[in-house]
Amino acid sequence: MARRWWPIAPAALVFLGLFVAPLVYFLIISFWSVKARMMRPDLTVANYIATWVEYGDVLVTTLAIAAAIGFATTLLAFGFAYVIRFKAGPLGPLLLFVTLITLFGGYLVKIYAWKSILGIDGILNMALTGIGLIDEPSGAFIYSTNAVVITLTYFLLPFAVLPIYGALRSIDDATMEAARDLGAKPLAVMRDIVIPQCEGGIMVAFTLAFLISAGDYVTPRFVGGGASMMGHFIETQFSIGFDWPMGSAMSFTILVTSLVIVMAFRALLRRAIRP
Amino acid sequence: MRARHVTDQLWRGFGLVVVLFMLAPLFLVVLFSFNESALTSLPLTGLTLHWYEKLFAYNSFWPALKNSLIVGFTVAVCSVVIGTSAALALSVMPPRRAGNIINALSLPVMLPALIIGISLICYFVRFLDIRLSLLTVILGHLVIAQPFVLLIVYARMATFDHAVVESARDLGASTFTAFRTVTLPIIQPTIVGAALIALSLSLDDFVITFFTIGGGNTLPTLVWGLVRTSLDPTINAIATLLIALSIGSTIVALQLSRYRG
Repeated sequence: MARRWWPIAPAALVFLGLFVAPLVYFLIISFWSVKARMMRPDLTVANYIATWVEYGDVLVTTLAIAAAIGFATTLLAFGFAYVIRFKAGPLGPLLLFVTLITLFGGYLVKIYAWKSILGIDGILNMALTGIGLIDEPSGAFIYSTNAVVITLTYFLLPFAVLPIYGALRSIDDATMEAARDLGAKPLAVMRDIVIPQCEGGIMVAFTLAFLISAGDYVTPRFVGGGASMMGHFIETQFSIGFDWPMGSAMSFTILVTSLVIVMAFRALLRRAIRP
Repeated sequence: MRARHVTDQLWRGFGLVVVLFMLAPLFLVVLFSFNESALTSLPLTGLTLHWYEKLFAYNSFWPALKNSLIVGFTVAVCSVVIGTSAALALSVMPPRRAGNIINALSLPVMLPALIIGISLICYFVRFLDIRLSLLTVILGHLVIAQPFVLLIVYARMATFDHAVVESARDLGASTFTAFRTVTLPIIQPTIVGAALIALSLSLDDFVITFFTIGGGNTLPTLVWGLVRTSLDPTINAIATLLIALSIGSTIVALQLSRYRG
């Protein structure tokens, strides 16, 4: 028994020692208090109350934006994975290859790319003024919620395509043919065969896209401008405010509310495919 | 029949739009790194390598590259040793139990990097009381790189014939000799592939590095500083290098591991 388990020990040690333990310690800190700029061990929920009172509206905005990104990413990813699996024919592997190479195309690089596309001196503005569609460069594209949604959807799309494609790959063509031969409309095939069989992949894609965008702070800062999200305020507690207990309480609040939404999405998806 | 033909065309059109959406922004970043004008906007004014010269003459660039490579290669080697060891052990367990363990070990990938980064800085600085350095960056990267190695090697082991290892053991080879002479040569391409994926993840990580590095820079934190202070095509040049490094290693990794989604 021991011989079978020891090869997993180093991985378990990294997981427990560098992921679980820091998170538990971080959770404990959220109940501490700060006096005269020094952290003191305590057992107070004041930080959580302050999170809801001071950042309640930011929390709601963040969850709404993350939900928009989650839906947009999952929908696009499903469509694209569906094309790779069923519609692209011999081009399928090439499309998958594009997905895989853009997966690690660079987080900051991708954000910077959209900043230079959407900015006032950006490519989009130059193109639009060039063809005479608008008279002068518009500042409406960058520093908006839309810019955050576009940039994060762009960043997360390849991560969402892979789990859905993985699930679509194991669908048997014969089942779909049989359904069609028996007179099922394309929409019915989609609803009754394709989507139920890739439920797991859709859940992974949505969860990933939702959680990562709910906790992002770099994108809102670079292309979001006024669109202030929770991550931005959490990060400032560490870089400027040095109120770690508050930052910790904010982190766990966004984490728990995000998980509630992910679970709600799961229940909705279940209900939609099993009437 | 005609209706179905039209919907097929629509699906293909949609696929093409998504491919353009995925590739065009990265292509533009690379394109403008060679453009003469200091503004990243159309129309192009002429080809130049000026921005690369400026980047290579920049004092902070070389130390950042060195740090990135030190961290990246250490993370690649460590995560491959740890991840492969675990994947091999998991591959001989009942699939259901192995699946549960893998799901648990993959949790760090699902969490926002911000939360991993700040929980690590609290843990290192306050609980363990160790100085932030490249070592703490490496430890932070291990957390997110390890699940990828584990998943890639575990997927490879699904089609691995365990009988060859058993025959080696029956013929008197020790566990380690059997691993070194039988298992390792067979799965070596996958392992190198997984190492390169871990390398790209580490080279690309900004958020965890930002919190755990203390002083100094890696390439992504350098880019962060540049984007905040200026917007000239030097950033495109460094971004192009990052794209080349990570996409290059991903392509080699894909070739080696034959991973297809």
